[in-house]
Amino acid sequence: MPIDPTMFTIAAIVLWALGMLLFLIAGERKVIKWLAHGSYLAGILVLAVFTWMLWDILGRPPMRTLGETRLWYAMFLPVIGYATYIRWDYKWILHYSGAVAIVFLAINLIYPDNYDRDLMPALQSIWFVPHVIVYIFAYALLAAATIVAIKGLIIEYTGKQWTWSMQLADNLVYLGLGFLTLGLLFGALWGKEAWGHYWMWDPKETWAFLTWIGYLAYIHYRYHKPKKLTTAMWMLAGAFIILMIAWFGVNYLPSAANSVHTYTQ
Amino acid sequence: MSLNKTEIKPKKKPVWAAPWGYTEGWLFVAGLLITGLALQLVAGGLSSSALAWPVNLYAGLAFTGLIVFGWVFLRKNSLVSWLGRVPAAVTSIAMITFLVLIMGFTLQEDAGNPAWVQSLGLSNMTSSWPFLFGMMFFMASLGMATMKRLTPMKGRNIGFFLNHAGLYIAIMAGLLGAADLQRVTMDLYEGEVVWGATDRQGHYKDMPLAIELERFNMEEFNPKIAVITTNDGRIVSESISDMFEIGKGHRGNLIGWDVEILEFHKMSGRIDGRFEPVVDYGAPPSALVRVTDSHGSQVEGWITSGSFMYSHQLLQIDRDHSVAMTIPQASHYSSDVVIYTPDGELIETRIEVNHPVSVNGWKLYQYSYDDRFGKWSSSSTIEAIRDPWLPVVYTGIFMLIFGSVYLMTLGKAPEKTEEQLAAEAGEPSGTEPESNIKGAA
Ligand code: HEM
Repeated sequence: MPIDPTMFTIAAIVLWALGMLLFLIAGERKVIKWLAHGSYLAGILVLAVFTWMLWDILGRPPMRTLGETRLWYAMFLPVIGYATYIRWDYKWILHYSGAVAIVFLAINLIYPDNYDRDLMPALQSIWFVPHVIVYIFAYALLAAATIVAIKGLIIEYTGKQWTWSMQLADNLVYLGLGFLTLGLLFGALWGKEAWGHYWMWDPKETWAFLTWIGYLAYIHYRYHKPKKLTTAMWMLAGAFIILMIAWFGVNYLPSAANSVHTYTQ
Repeated sequence: MSLNKTEIKPKKKPVWAAPWGYTEGWLFVAGLLITGLALQLVAGGLSSSALAWPVNLYAGLAFTGLIVFGWVFLRKNSLVSWLGRVPAAVTSIAMITFLVLIMGFTLQEDAGNPAWVQSLGLSNMTSSWPFLFGMMFFMASLGMATMKRLTPMKGRNIGFFLNHAGLYIAIMAGLLGAADLQRVTMDLYEGEVVWGATDRQGHYKDMPLAIELERFNMEEFNPKIAVITTNDGRIVSESISDMFEIGKGHRGNLIGWDVEILEFHKMSGRIDGRFEPVVDYGAPPSALVRVTDSHGSQVEGWITSGSFMYSHQLLQIDRDHSVAMTIPQASHYSSDVVIYTPDGELIETRIEVNHPVSVNGWKLYQYSYDDRFGKWSSSSTIEAIRDPWLPVVYTGIFMLIFGSVYLMTLGKAPEKTEEQLAAEAGEPSGTEPESNIKGAA
């Protein structure tokens, strides 16, 4: 085994957990606030260093297996959470992204990858890295948007008096759908070079299309009926379920028996 | 308390009275689905070859022409104005989503699907009538929305145009162009000049170019080592954490056995029970391994994956188990070829996976090789594809790429919560954002 991820993974988990805790208790104390920022960012840095080393040692982009895509997701989500916090001052999203990233790293701890260097020739393309990065980044943004929706739904159904805004969800969806579209198009351009066609309705492609069109429905509905929050929030929740099927559920569908691109387990 | 409930509901508008909205959209979808399914049952599925050039060009021009005509001359018509607004967009998107969702759960192949699924066209969704109708509705809405926002062409509308017109162009050219797409394969053998190809149905086709294979090349990853059950040769655990890559000095734990690689040759020959590196036709890789079980007892010996010329060799580690070397996986493969064209051109080049070569309107792809011989294969299969509509599709795709960058800029500063507003009361709030989503209707 060329590299042991355990230490890096645990370090990132501990740093994020500590950062989140410090954010919670900081109040107005400046020093603790700075420590919180430091710890949270250090977690991201540790994971970034690990990913970079892994890439170097494997001699291929670490994006081939589901575990490897979880690694990128666990890195991007806190980045998005942190950026959202800095830009728009939503503190809760910082905690949420940290928590989800920790869960994803924990899954990788429980099911360790034996990082395998083989990369089939069709994946050895300049498109591979931009395609996967852009996609995982979109997934992380859209996950954050989903959480806004779910928080809104919970507030609504617990009957609290509420002034919920979908502005943050909308912003995240515009960004996320932009990246999702890029991922889809990069995939099409790559498909033409690798398999000879840009779109073949392969099961993975079919589900990627469904994800994309689901968010498309959302932005159009929002544009037209900005006041109908409940329907919009349910649309976001539904679209994210489709996204999850596209990401890892496809592997288990009967329709994917002949798929050319499902991730290696 | 949902905001919906606090909205003041206008008096209900009778169905089909202008302006049409969602209700009319859903009825439209139901009508298209029923008609489509009925046609599917009566007339069977569609064949894309019916649209072969120039029919597809006329069909595309007619469809687009109708939209332009409708927008220019019949703007007040209920159907036309409705197609250009969001209710039609959302219901047509929903219809496509519904059909593609069925497709996502159904194996897209006749074999393995019950007869009723086949006769409703669900196992061949993209060439079914309901899909055709859904696409026409979707494209009509998309096209009409594009027309509606064509003027004035500035600022926000340019981004809108890139997304909507880009998508219209890409999908239209993709759907219509499918009829003109040709995919054939050419089987090459070293030293032979090949003019002919076969299509998916096995029909022979003369090609406007000839290819001679000079050499097929392959590089391989190192093989892996795994524990197998000796009598049936099955790998005990397929999980990649229960095998590791072979290389001199590599060591790992395989399901309780400590396995160490003492020696490794990429190509080797057997000499007196040992293996020595040799460069020879069909020479397989080999490794000397030492295996220690949980009680500390050790066995040592040579293993090889074998090749088409030599048999494999295992190392027995207990009564039922052995360690074995897997067959190496290809890391790169390519064909060195000479391509001859009718006008006497001669191109010497390499065709590799992910690096197709374009000649005379055809793109040539490395497709496969004779996997019985692996890297010693003396034949190679090239796939040749002609897709004359590709430039149009790419025009749409590049418009969409710029459009998605525009989309990313649409986010706005957050609305202030009431507490924040209260806290800021008194300050001049020149930055107060208005909702970025202005109701269209
Ligand atoms: C790449 C895909 C698409 C993107 C990124 C996109 C984006 C948008 C955005 C952001 C708006 C808000 C208006 C604005 O920005 O000025 C909008 C409006 C609209 N879109 Fe799309 N859209 C896409 C595809 C579609 C499709 C497939 C349809 C129809 C089936 C459609 C029909 C409409 C309509 C009717 C409007 C309202 C226009 C108006 O009333 O002025 N769009 N779209």
